[in-house]
Amino acid sequence: MGDEARPGRSRLEVTLDLVTDLSSWVWLALIAVIVVAVVLRFVFSLGRIELEELQWHLYAVGFLMGIVACTGFDRHVRVDVFRERMSARLRDWIDFYGILLLQLPFLALVLWSALPFVVDSFVAGERSASAGGLPFRWILKSMLPISFVLLALATLSRLVRVGRRLFGDGDPGGGR
Amino acid sequence: GGPRAVGSGSETVSEAVGDANPLPTTAPRLRWRVTSAFGTNLPTLGENPVEVADRLRRASAGRIDWTIDDPGEVVPAFAIVDAVRAGKIEAGYTWLGYDQGRLPVSVLFGAVPFGMTPWEYSAWWVRGGGRELAREIYRPLGIEPILCGMIGPETAGWFRKEIRTPDDLSGLKIRFAGLGGRTLQKLGASVTMLPGGEIFQALEKGAIDATEFSLPEVDARLGFDRVARFNYFPGWHQPHTAFHLVVHEATWRALPEPTRELIELACGDGVHRNLANAEAAQGPAIAESERRGVVTRALSPGLLRALETAAHEVLREEAAADPDFARVLDHQRRFRARYA
Amino acid sequence: MTPREWLAVAMFAAFILGILCGFPVAWVLGGVAVLFTALAILVQRDFGHFTGVDWSYASLVADRLWSLMDNWVLVALPMFICMGLLLDRSGIAADLMRDVSRLFGRMRGGLAVTVALIGVVLAASTGIIGASVVLLALLGLPPMLDARYAPTFAAGTVCAVGTLGILIPPSIMLVLMADRLAIPVGDLFLGAFLPGLVLAGLYVAYLIAWPRFRPEVAPAPDEAEVVDLALLASVFRDIVPAAALILTVLGSIFFGIATPTEASGVGAFGALLLASWRRRLGWRVLRGVLRETTLTTGYLFGIFVGASAFALVLRGLGGDELIARALLGLPFGPNGVVLTILFVTFLLGFFLDWIEITFIVLPLVAPVVVGLGFDLVWFTVLFAVCLQTSFLTPPVGFALFYVKGVAPPEIDVWTLYVGILPFVGLQLVGLGLIFAWPELATWLPGLAYSN
Ligand code: NA
Ligand code: NA
Repeated sequence: MGDEARPGRSRLEVTLDLVTDLSSWVWLALIAVIVVAVVLRFVFSLGRIELEELQWHLYAVGFLMGIVACTGFDRHVRVDVFRERMSARLRDWIDFYGILLLQLPFLALVLWSALPFVVDSFVAGERSASAGGLPFRWILKSMLPISFVLLALATLSRLVRVGRRLFGDGDPGGGR
Repeated sequence: GGPRAVGSGSETVSEAVGDANPLPTTAPRLRWRVTSAFGTNLPTLGENPVEVADRLRRASAGRIDWTIDDPGEVVPAFAIVDAVRAGKIEAGYTWLGYDQGRLPVSVLFGAVPFGMTPWEYSAWWVRGGGRELAREIYRPLGIEPILCGMIGPETAGWFRKEIRTPDDLSGLKIRFAGLGGRTLQKLGASVTMLPGGEIFQALEKGAIDATEFSLPEVDARLGFDRVARFNYFPGWHQPHTAFHLVVHEATWRALPEPTRELIELACGDGVHRNLANAEAAQGPAIAESERRGVVTRALSPGLLRALETAAHEVLREEAAADPDFARVLDHQRRFRARYA
Repeated sequence: MTPREWLAVAMFAAFILGILCGFPVAWVLGGVAVLFTALAILVQRDFGHFTGVDWSYASLVADRLWSLMDNWVLVALPMFICMGLLLDRSGIAADLMRDVSRLFGRMRGGLAVTVALIGVVLAASTGIIGASVVLLALLGLPPMLDARYAPTFAAGTVCAVGTLGILIPPSIMLVLMADRLAIPVGDLFLGAFLPGLVLAGLYVAYLIAWPRFRPEVAPAPDEAEVVDLALLASVFRDIVPAAALILTVLGSIFFGIATPTEASGVGAFGALLLASWRRRLGWRVLRGVLRETTLTTGYLFGIFVGASAFALVLRGLGGDELIARALLGLPFGPNGVVLTILFVTFLLGFFLDWIEITFIVLPLVAPVVVGLGFDLVWFTVLFAVCLQTSFLTPPVGFALFYVKGVAPPEIDVWTLYVGILPFVGLQLVGLGLIFAWPELATWLPGLAYSN
């Protein structure tokens, strides 16, 4: 497993844990919304586009927070054919440069492109185009940059951890 | 735009300065990615931008070189106007009404329930001040809208059961988009917005009772005529449907005049050919679906009256909420009053 | 090749290199997209070669991520994952596996056959990539490993059977293909049905036959019961609730109560009821299940997010046109053209994911195939089987990635690579059968036509 069990977790990691726990309840809410929507339509012939849209609103929040959580707990999928045969130090070097050259630039690109995207939606007062759809679309859209800021923080904390190991600051343990 | 805009921009600048020949064979190419809101494989709807691009390529001896992308390949269908506005792509081909969530007035340039017929809309756009009005609204947003395609009435939808009176609409589970959906809601229908890919199955299994989608020809390709017995006319919610080429405004202004002219010509031809193709193909498509056992029916006059009343109520509500919507709706109505 | 196309090729190579280094797939995909955007700008600005990619083009990633966020169909993914986790954590899945496998008594490989059968039922209730794979891995892997099955055999079974979910209708892949080709989804659904069953049959035959030659891959159960009426009754009593749950999902689709997407939520709700009815749903279990749903959903969507950026830039560099040109210059007879297209698709499947291939290759080759006089539904089904195989083939096999995410630590990617080999072989056999007997794909849709 990842760093979950490590003693002496940083404040960031504790927060991340809490955020993961809290956001996980969206799945229960999503189940409820789907069941209500199905019953309303099948039993009462009542279609509610609000409920349909609420479904993917909840889902979007859930998967974005999931991506953040996976970074925190090092659960993102790796192809470990060669990784298993690598020394702990080589793995750390790969993670170090991977975060620096691949992960952080990508997060920066998404953040940089998502901010105007959300601002535009807010300025235009964007709402759903469907009959009875949900208003305030910028709220859901803003989940994109918000989650990516959290993602960047979690990534930076990983970078610091790997960096400490590489550049000697105690903690000789290898990466996953 | 970033470096790419600089790249293609400098190409077009040199074209503007260096050559008085309208078909400068030495000038650099105008390579655009144009996202279409309709799959290029869809008959009539999707073919039109491809044909426009082909004709432009031939007319310009290959200088105007557009790649028509399917929706989602590069830009998602509903994000086209937004992406063009931000200069992420140079141009797109879309139904403006997809944008009504952020720009309510946009639907008036696309299709209005019980609104104008294709020839009325053409007259309004070309001679009645429609184009100027559209520019007035879209240019501040950084977009040049060019009328580029049009089709006649769609069907009123595919139904599993017969619809005779307004009462039959009450409780009917129907997939219906936009203002038409709101109209049906007023008459008690239960409106949903299933994603395109799930419509067929939902209709087949009865999760919904009815759906509208597009032209009979397109719908038949998607198989709705296999799972719904009744096909109703007329398409009250879209007496005409107009499609526009939307170009990033700064890019448009930087184009040399011959190029702009050529694009406008090709789009004018696109409208004409699109209408011709749509009209010519519908008869055979309807005959074919009738051969398969689909019953083609006209909505009863009473039902149409009820729909029209409800539609006007929806339009009134929209106009009350948005000044631009009110202005354009009023403009269209005054034009129609004079025209009729 | 133009400099732009060289960039596309290099981008691909960089991606493969990156994931082989063992850095998370999601961020390799996203990061390579950013790096090659920068490179493309350099090549265009400093060397004057047209590339067609710059920062403003790359910023379309926001719009594309939004279309992932507002995708209602994908809601089914976390819901099926949640359902699987509920069944797993509440012990219902283990009961189900144990009970069904009791029926197979002394048969070697009985657990694997059970997984295959459950997999076929699941396949008929989910249309989403990943959902059935993850679900089966949760249900099937732990019991098989406990029974000392060879990890390669167990993992291969789960991966392969899990991918049936995208071939047997409902299927989001067939929906997208129908959309690309503008043909009725119903025809494709019917057309893929028999081929899906044929493949399932091939799997089951293999799962029964192989342990006879290699007993060590699936040891016989220690204390096998005699199958008699009493056992049947007890098994029946035990599996009814779980079977009812799966049938609820299927039935709610079939009787028009819910769309396939909503059916996933109905299934999760049913699992919730089932677990609490069996008094196995404490606070801790529920909290753990929801949390794990978040994490599992997270790593799947991490890949989607990265792939969205990667595909954008690759297409911007003309990677699609490159593949198109290569495919269209084929100098063979009609059958040869179809076989070559399928072969190339199979090869592309090693590196590209199904969405890319469906977008790029299918619309391109379909008219060619139709022009040669072949049935489009038949060809599309063949194509779909090819793409189903691409989920299994290394290095970029998404089913492998998904299973990897939930599998116990002893299952590494290497185990998966070895484990799926026989199944890739079976896929090819299946392809051959459909090629030789087009009726497998055309018979059912034809039947529906005549009505
Ligand atoms: Na399926
Ligand atoms: Na593959």
